[in-house]
Amino acid sequence: MSNSFMMLAPVVIFFVILMGMGFYIQKKSSDARAENYSKDYYIGGRSLGGFVLAMTLVATYSSVSSFLSGPGVAWQKGFGWVYYASTQVVAAFLVLGVLGKKMAVVGRKTDSVTAVDVIRNRYQSDLIATISAVVIIVFFTTQMIGQFVGGAQIFSAATGLSYTAGLIIFAIVVVLYTTVGGFTAVAITDTACAIMMLIGMFCLAYAIISKGGGLANIMATINEASATAQATGEGFNMVAPTAPSGGVASIPVQLFITQWMLCGVCTIGLPQTNVRCLAYKDTKSVHRAMMYGTIVVGAMMVGMHLLGVLSRGVLLTLPEGASTDTVVPTLISQYMHPVLAGLTIIGPLAATMSTISSLLIAGSSAIVKDIYLHHKEAKKEPVNQSFVGKISIGMTAIMGIVAVLLSINPPDIIVWINMFAFGGLQTAFFWIFLLGLFWKKANKTGAMWCIIGGLGAYILVYVTGIKIGAFHNILVGIVVGFVCFVIGNNMGKPIEEKVGKIFFPEKYPD
Amino acid sequence: MNKMSYKEKFVQMNKEAKATWIVAAVIIIFWWVAGFGVYSAFGAGFTMFGMPAWFVLSCFGSWILSIVLVAYLIKGVFKDFDLDDDVSAAKGSEKGEDVNE
Repeated sequence: MSNSFMMLAPVVIFFVILMGMGFYIQKKSSDARAENYSKDYYIGGRSLGGFVLAMTLVATYSSVSSFLSGPGVAWQKGFGWVYYASTQVVAAFLVLGVLGKKMAVVGRKTDSVTAVDVIRNRYQSDLIATISAVVIIVFFTTQMIGQFVGGAQIFSAATGLSYTAGLIIFAIVVVLYTTVGGFTAVAITDTACAIMMLIGMFCLAYAIISKGGGLANIMATINEASATAQATGEGFNMVAPTAPSGGVASIPVQLFITQWMLCGVCTIGLPQTNVRCLAYKDTKSVHRAMMYGTIVVGAMMVGMHLLGVLSRGVLLTLPEGASTDTVVPTLISQYMHPVLAGLTIIGPLAATMSTISSLLIAGSSAIVKDIYLHHKEAKKEPVNQSFVGKISIGMTAIMGIVAVLLSINPPDIIVWINMFAFGGLQTAFFWIFLLGLFWKKANKTGAMWCIIGGLGAYILVYVTGIKIGAFHNILVGIVVGFVCFVIGNNMGKPIEEKVGKIFFPEKYPD
Repeated sequence: MNKMSYKEKFVQMNKEAKATWIVAAVIIIFWWVAGFGVYSAFGAGFTMFGMPAWFVLSCFGSWILSIVLVAYLIKGVFKDFDLDDDVSAAKGSEKGEDVNE
């Protein structure tokens, strides 16, 4: 009892602080919201500095899998899995360096508040904007549910509460602070979450290295396990990049190639991260964020997965039938002092919450700003800011509550959609953003073909179970999406000059 | 802070985006050579800090290389400018011209 109390105390304090931040920000931003509600609520009035921009990007990006499933698999497969995860090191600077400034400049010029606003203004198509918003709503909701399930599992494992009770407590906190505080609260709490993830990681590193009797001892255990695996064909060779088991690569080279797409290059298309390009203050902020983001994302991804491998020196085997997801919670609860354990368990919880909050606020903006408010504007109906406030808050709360209710007993269809949500978002948006901002010829017909063809092909290969070698299906989505874009584009009309002059002024003579 | 016209900003941003892609490509190549390359040449017996050298070089190496190259990008290639279009700001409230109708 006293042990679980000591462990729970840091978590409870952290939850209270997060909720406090939400309410404080709501109070502080009431003036800005009275003037332009959606600009403040959904994008924080374009005021993020470099540090917060970097942290919110990294925190959104690192989810329950970076803290739980990833290190668990690394415990089993060894250094190859860290190598596999290290492809994410480019993610932070790539989105900011490639899209960051251009989205900021055209976003200000066109008064865009959401990623879909940018798409709508670029392609001049309400249909593409609406399809984009629907894709975002569906995939974000399923991803949120996946995160809720993961977070609730950690919370209940750590506290001994039932899954449902854990889910509800944990969910109330994240839905509440996101709903009242809006985007600014998401960014600030994300920063707190990222810092707690790093602290948790250092606590865990200390515990693993000291319990394992130092790095040399741990490595001796790992080398022995690898030698046994090579001799008997059971288990994995933990010191080879492809983690072979019985002579067969368990992480084939082809998978590494697609990992560079799925977790590296194509992440620039994810609307929940690239919307942050609309939210920062000035060019200095984005430059700093590229640096901080690269430092932190690398430390976190390489660090957490490496800890997974090294934990093999502490935890030699798992109980029969236990999934590798239990490695990190077991380490925390069994090998750490309760207060330190409480501090460490915040890490994976924070990773989960920071991902949910960003999906929730961006999902809500897709409904309120991209569909509802746009519909009002199109009909030239006047918009009352306090009413916008009510529906923004209301929609965020509803979306959060629906996701929580579905997480109590997630329907199979949601579990299934979540499997391809991450790649699906990239398939739908990678080319739309990249070609939209860098290829003047890109037009709405191409974009439409890309989103329908690419996403259609991607879903089709999932439904039919078709695999091309060991490649991840993202390859199909991205390649088909590109081909469709180019074919469709040839049939479409060139963009109008007034749009061209906003997005491609360098192509016009003075 | 550099004073740039709306058009000049786009020329600059295209340059920055291209440099970012080149940096990413360099990192990917380095990652590949330091990981698969070093492993196939020396195996797992070659160690650094007690861990397989291919791992240390590829994972920590790519991370450090990324930090160095990003530092080069923001010092050497990226430029500061006003994200708002001051030309139209001077003319009054032309911001957000109704491209949306």
